[in-house]
Amino acid sequence: MVVSERFESRVSSEVSDGGDELVIRVAGNFDFNIHRDFQRAYRNVSPAPKVFLVDLSATEHLDSAALGMLLLLRDYCVELGHEGEQPRVELMNANAHVSHILHVSNFDQIFSIC
Amino acid sequence: MPAFRILIIESDQQESAELQQLIQQWEYKSTAESISPASTLCVPNIDAALKSFDQFPPSLVIFGPIAARETPSESVRQLRQSMGLEPVPILAVQEVQENPAEPLYLADCDDILTKPYSRSLVELKLVAIRRFGEFSRSLMAQRDRLRRHHADFLQEQANAREIFGNLGNESCLDDTPAIRYHLSPRAVLNGDLLAATYSPDGKLVLMLGDFAGHGLAAAVGAVPLTSIFYSMIPRGFSFGRVAREINRKLHDILPRQMFCCLAIMEFDPRRQHLRIMNAGMPSPCLMRADGSLLMIESRHLPLGVLPSDHVDSAIVNVRTSPGDRLFLWSDGIHEARSSRGEHFGEARLLSLLQSEQPDGEQVFEQILLAVNAHAAEQHDDLSLVELDLTDPGLLRGGGLPQEVAGDRKGTPVGDWSINFRLCHAELRQADPLPQLLSVVMQMPGAARFQEDLAIALGELFRNALEHGVLELDSSIKGMDDGFVRYYDLMAERRSQLDSGWVSISLSCLEGEAGGSLSLVVEDSGKGFSGVRDTGSIYSGRGLELLRTVCSELHYSAGSSRVEAIIRWQAEPDAKSEGATQAQYNAIQNPSVPV
Repeated sequence: MVVSERFESRVSSEVSDGGDELVIRVAGNFDFNIHRDFQRAYRNVSPAPKVFLVDLSATEHLDSAALGMLLLLRDYCVELGHEGEQPRVELMNANAHVSHILHVSNFDQIFSIC
Repeated sequence: MPAFRILIIESDQQESAELQQLIQQWEYKSTAESISPASTLCVPNIDAALKSFDQFPPSLVIFGPIAARETPSESVRQLRQSMGLEPVPILAVQEVQENPAEPLYLADCDDILTKPYSRSLVELKLVAIRRFGEFSRSLMAQRDRLRRHHADFLQEQANAREIFGNLGNESCLDDTPAIRYHLSPRAVLNGDLLAATYSPDGKLVLMLGDFAGHGLAAAVGAVPLTSIFYSMIPRGFSFGRVAREINRKLHDILPRQMFCCLAIMEFDPRRQHLRIMNAGMPSPCLMRADGSLLMIESRHLPLGVLPSDHVDSAIVNVRTSPGDRLFLWSDGIHEARSSRGEHFGEARLLSLLQSEQPDGEQVFEQILLAVNAHAAEQHDDLSLVELDLTDPGLLRGGGLPQEVAGDRKGTPVGDWSINFRLCHAELRQADPLPQLLSVVMQMPGAARFQEDLAIALGELFRNALEHGVLELDSSIKGMDDGFVRYYDLMAERRSQLDSGWVSISLSCLEGEAGGSLSLVVEDSGKGFSGVRDTGSIYSGRGLELLRTVCSELHYSAGSSRVEAIIRWQAEPDAKSEGATQAQYNAIQNPSVPV
């Protein structure tokens, strides 16, 4: 495992659309090194948004650990669903390379990609 | 908190006494607010200082004004070396007023104390030094702890490697020149996994997997994966069933963010039928004898992601021809990065395959070389498998593993019969062959005909199901793309099955001179039309195969009943003690772990 040097947080998030959407942006490599930041970005957002939008426009590469993180996010939504409305997860703005990875892993079957 | 020991080196007693007094007036408060005075020791020279280290390992060394002038640099360096790894600051006293222009005597010291002494300055310096000492000691303790953890970690990796090595013991990867493979030495920790074995009717089943996740956690998942694989395939379970089982098990045991990308293939060298399921792996490539490439794309989520699966519809069926070769690889090849961060990528890989020289043998090495040349750092993270689908080595018989088969040759088979009847509900998804085989294989002496029986049973059951119950026409296979369509149609009809049955009966008779096993299969279908087995070469193949393993084969137009007879001669030197051993084995045989 390569632990990358000190980096600026590559994960940013903002609430939009009147609080209904949480946009999580991941810049650069979406990999194991950002798993804490990624989790922090979606956990404990109050009130819970209706949609978690993962913005991949600045994502250059995505590895299997990242797919695992998306599964965790999906699970988190199911958890939220026990208390109220279950939020959706949507992936957007993936570049060709990232889209290809999502397609090869067939993750496009369980995530809506727009 | 450890004592703070100050070693004073000074030949002049008055000078050293003055220093000592100055230090003893100083009260140090540590960050934890505990007060601990410094202890001091005065020695006249370097030699005495070196000797004192055993009893009085110093935290700080001070050269008095005269010693500072008289001690050569070389000695100071020697002193520093003999104080070990922990940094011990060395101070020198300098009388500034004597001659301000005079250069520092001891360039190898860390700092100076000026004389006449200013009490507050000296205290300030001592406090700073003491704090620095504490800091470096805690750093050192952390370093030692990290070292220990790292050593433990390496040990764990070594253990994991050993476990992995043993998991591969059951594989047939090294038994045949038809399979060439390269597994990264880091395979354990990057989660790559390769396994291969034969089904009882002689089909080779091979899987290449890649666990998502890091380190040992990913490696742990390989244990249930291989144990399912090596226990189910040799017992005759279809690879689709095995894939389903793997999916279920991984979903149950793995943490949510972990899953396994897996390409699993089954090749029947007798029928030249290749079936592959790709769940999230980079597309395996079937390189045809004519040089064309067929990529088998992922049609399934990685295993362990969802509790449900659609394995059957994700299986790709391919008819192979002589000279075809299959390549499987992990994403380490595709993702190998050059110094400019560029991935090796599938395009480069395919152009390598296409540019293969006519002699053809080197492409495996070429791929490894090209990827390693491309990758800037030597990470060798890649796994590569090449399978020569026409190598006669693949025709090695399957046979149940020793633990299942036992040593049963030469023991009497006995007289018995069994009847099975499967209705539409079972036929929709059941895979009756493993159960049937496992019952028959418990019979003493069954090793004599196990492979022939497995092949005959497989053929006859498939015939009854596909042509009888599902009414599939083999001539579909003769058309372009028909092979794939045939199997898609089969999966579709099978899942919608609401009537029909297949009955299987086995009876065994044994006399002095030998014995015979009669296998009768019937189905609810319309029966042989007379052309069913001669339509195309591919459907004819099943019949040829049956003829090679059976002594007699009876069927007639208008009836769905097929009878196949396997005969054998009595072996002259049948050992009687074999029987007891076989019975013992039969008792010991574990049931299939599912």
